[in-house]
Amino acid sequence: MIKIRKNSLSAYANLRSIAIAGLILGMSLPAMASLGGNISSIDLDRTHMNASEEVTGAGLYSVHRLQVPGGTVVNEYASPGGTIFAVTWQGQFPPDMQQILGVYFQQYSVALAAQAKHYGHQPLNIQSSGLVVQTGGHMRAHWGRVYVQGLIPTRVSADLLQ
Amino acid sequence: MRKLSLAMTTAGLLFVVGCGSNSTNSSTGSGGTTTGSNTMAISVNGGPTANQMNGFIYENAAFASATICVPGSTSNCVTVDNLLVDTGSTGLRVLQSALTSLNLPTIDAANGSPAFDCVSFVDGSFLWGPVQQADVTLGGEVASSLPVHVISASNNVPSSCSNGSSLNENTQSSLGANGILGVGVEPTDCFYQGASVCDPGFGLSNPPAPAYYTCSGNPCIPAFITVAKQVANPVALFPVDNNGVIVELPAVSGSAATLSGSLVFGIGTQSNNRLPSSATIFQLTCDDFTTVFDNQTYGITNPATCVGPGSFIDSGSNGLFFPNATNIPACSSNTPAGDLSSFYCPSSTQSLSAKLEGAAGTSKSADFSVQNAETLFTSSGTESDAALSGLAGLNPSGVGFDWGLPFFYGINLYTSIDGQKTPSGAPASPWWAY
Repeated sequence: MIKIRKNSLSAYANLRSIAIAGLILGMSLPAMASLGGNISSIDLDRTHMNASEEVTGAGLYSVHRLQVPGGTVVNEYASPGGTIFAVTWQGQFPPDMQQILGVYFQQYSVALAAQAKHYGHQPLNIQSSGLVVQTGGHMRAHWGRVYVQGLIPTRVSADLLQ
Repeated sequence: MRKLSLAMTTAGLLFVVGCGSNSTNSSTGSGGTTTGSNTMAISVNGGPTANQMNGFIYENAAFASATICVPGSTSNCVTVDNLLVDTGSTGLRVLQSALTSLNLPTIDAANGSPAFDCVSFVDGSFLWGPVQQADVTLGGEVASSLPVHVISASNNVPSSCSNGSSLNENTQSSLGANGILGVGVEPTDCFYQGASVCDPGFGLSNPPAPAYYTCSGNPCIPAFITVAKQVANPVALFPVDNNGVIVELPAVSGSAATLSGSLVFGIGTQSNNRLPSSATIFQLTCDDFTTVFDNQTYGITNPATCVGPGSFIDSGSNGLFFPNATNIPACSSNTPAGDLSSFYCPSSTQSLSAKLEGAAGTSKSADFSVQNAETLFTSSGTESDAALSGLAGLNPSGVGFDWGLPFFYGINLYTSIDGQKTPSGAPASPWWAY
């Protein structure tokens, strides 16, 4: 288990960041990526959200916890191979869904528009071709979870993604 | 203080406390109708579209009216009915179309341009529009110069507000109401944990989003706004009876066509809003409390970061929503009533019990039932009923229990407002009690 804390102003202050800097130099990055993207996109998200970051790593996956100013906590789950397979959040405001969902944003948007309409603001539970989007809560208390079933490492249960 | 004492005396002399007046044969019990200048009638009646051609019933939703006037005027007013009574949000939000020709003054954000508000709901739907000032009368109480959210008829919404959604609830048919009367636990819609991150004084380098905006350029951009100008809980701006509300609704056995009840303003400020000694007070952590159900505990686990599966009581939720610890079958995605996969469909009515816990260790057990939602929505006995006590659905496990309107049937539910003075002997706000 490793635990690293850094803030948005000290982006290259530790070994992990130096490794990521190398990745950035060696590849072209998508303009915006998260779910399904490479672990290196987390730094883009962190900068975009002006967030501080804490990393906890276990054998099956690592969790990159971004604390956004204003109180929302965003957790990005990366597989050992470096792919972000899930993102969760909790806080006063929902996150920028385009930034969280990356290439899955359009699929989310279409599935959301196709949701059955019932009056009342119920929790969301989208299951669309492997993409899962679940939300709940109330004003100033938003919780959500997005993941791609095919990207979750074996032996990891979706229930662990909180 | 002198004003408050006078009002209390007057109310004591003039108003009679009533209880238990029910509108339908199938409703019985302790909740009901209370009278007095600090009360207003509420009705669970299916909402404004229930009686329209091809209109839908808004199940388990309580509606009320408000009179909205240009500040300082008693004649330049519009009375708007069918406002959803919502203890789970804060602020009065009214469809622009329901205000007809009323011309309300704008309110400026901190940068000096007129402010706009964006509210996003957990299901991806959103409300967008200008912040304007009005004198708002609820029952016999007036909130003067109240910042209200006027829901714009336009679909020109900044992308950080719509956030990938096309569910702009800016019409009566999409919202199922003419607006939302948010009388929750906070004084404004950007106040939480004793502070407002939307206020320039909080110290964020950039305004949070989606919240407040200004539109002096195109596109509209997030903006700071001082607490005093934020869309506010109208109750907190009353001169008296301003520390909370009581929602009083009769009990429902199964379902009922309609219900009549009361929204009472103030807690322990009048003879008709005292907190009874039998009531249990649940102090809140991060505006949530804890529910223990089927050996699972749903509450905030880290009060410093407000992380954890919190539980809450919310009249604006139209069912009971909870994680599926007991493996109750979900409904089908293909039913005569449409995709009901987010609701529960047990083969027989499930009688269940949970334990509610406040932050200070108080607790109470709550019995509830879960009925087959497809049957409720499609059988001839219940399909036209507005009050469905057994309507329940799935919450993801990261969220706890959402005790929606069915929880309110048969009780008087007290919601105290953060920062407001509570009755002597009661703990500091915010809390729920019943």
